[in-house]
Amino acid sequence: MIFTNDELKPIYLQIAEWLETEILSGNIAADEKIYSQYQLAAMFNINPATAAKGLNILADEKMLYKKRGLGMFVTPDAAEIIRTKRRERNLKRWVEELVKEANRLNISDSELNDMIKAARNRSKEEQR
Amino acid sequence: MNVIECKGLTKQYGRIDALKDLSFSIRENTITGLVGPNGAGKTTLLKIIAGYLKETAGVVKVFSGHPFNNLETSANLVFIDDNMAMPATMNIEEILNAAGSFYAYWNRELANRLFDYFSLNPRQLYKDLSKGQKSTFNMIIGLSARCALTIFDEPTTGMDASVRKDFYRALLQDYLQHPRTVIFSSHLLNEIEDILEEVLLLAEGRKRLHLPVSELKEYAVGLRGKEEKVNRFTRSAEILRRERFGRDSIYVVTRYNFNKTTLQKAREAGLEVLPVSTADLCVYLTARNKGGIDDVFNQD
Repeated sequence: MIFTNDELKPIYLQIAEWLETEILSGNIAADEKIYSQYQLAAMFNINPATAAKGLNILADEKMLYKKRGLGMFVTPDAAEIIRTKRRERNLKRWVEELVKEANRLNISDSELNDMIKAARNRSKEEQR
Repeated sequence: MNVIECKGLTKQYGRIDALKDLSFSIRENTITGLVGPNGAGKTTLLKIIAGYLKETAGVVKVFSGHPFNNLETSANLVFIDDNMAMPATMNIEEILNAAGSFYAYWNRELANRLFDYFSLNPRQLYKDLSKGQKSTFNMIIGLSARCALTIFDEPTTGMDASVRKDFYRALLQDYLQHPRTVIFSSHLLNEIEDILEEVLLLAEGRKRLHLPVSELKEYAVGLRGKEEKVNRFTRSAEILRRERFGRDSIYVVTRYNFNKTTLQKAREAGLEVLPVSTADLCVYLTARNKGGIDDVFNQD
């Protein structure tokens, strides 16, 4: 098991990641209101306290700010914070795992690079 | 604010301790799952909270009052289980109509809509309903009563999977719109954990755990692989479960008190690092035996 199984990831983390992806993709813009804990609870069929925990992760990392009585809003820097965080925390780790597995299988640098290039090309074609 | 507070709560039936020195509190407007093996004392606890039974010793407070024979407590709570006494001569529509007069915040419209949704036949007598239909009908009363304290004691007995799913969703939706304190005992923790805020686990009349669900999910970790390797990583850890399989492999569940690098090392040493579901964890935490049912068959 290299990557952690999403299904077994705590729900509040899944919620936080889902919200991050919403912000990253531009579905919720800067200074726009994000879903409330109650909306998230109803959407994902979870306890509102769990949803609040997910929202608080984003607030703690300065992706959201609170307006008293109005709810939580997306900060102007949110998308950039998420990009940096995911690159540093996720992508780097995955690349390290990838390299380790490649080493175990005696894959050469060029072979690995080719595989990455091929995968990128495939995903570009899929997006077209 | 705490809706329920218990301190040193003890209940004896003759010489048998059903509850032993139980202390916990439940905050207002939370959904708590009450879990534990058969005979753990779940129903006894719920009946004491509801004021149906009197404690033997200790303190129990519900809405700051002593619940036993207390009108104020009983006016503010609804207790749903599969032993509800319903009049034998009334059909279920008549029962539903009468139920409204017992509950101050009874919502007639919700009751009717649920009644239609689950396609219950209004002319049927309660005693002629199937086990699952009885549970469905009871659940409708429990939700529509909108009581400040709503207690469900194994409400899903006999319900099929789709009705159970609808019920959990209905409970959550109505709770979001009309927050109230809910206690819910069940053997199906994996089905209900998403809508819970906290879990109270009983075993042999004692509190084993009382935690937010999110903490319960990270309470333990499973390691699987060659026995000597697993042992190396779990030497100083608290073992909750140990299962053998194959010739020299083993699955061990321990308290999650490793740091990330230790887990990474375990993975690199070829061990599988597995999360432990809350339902399995509760079984392990309340088992008398670390090897489970297999211990009965493996006498070595």
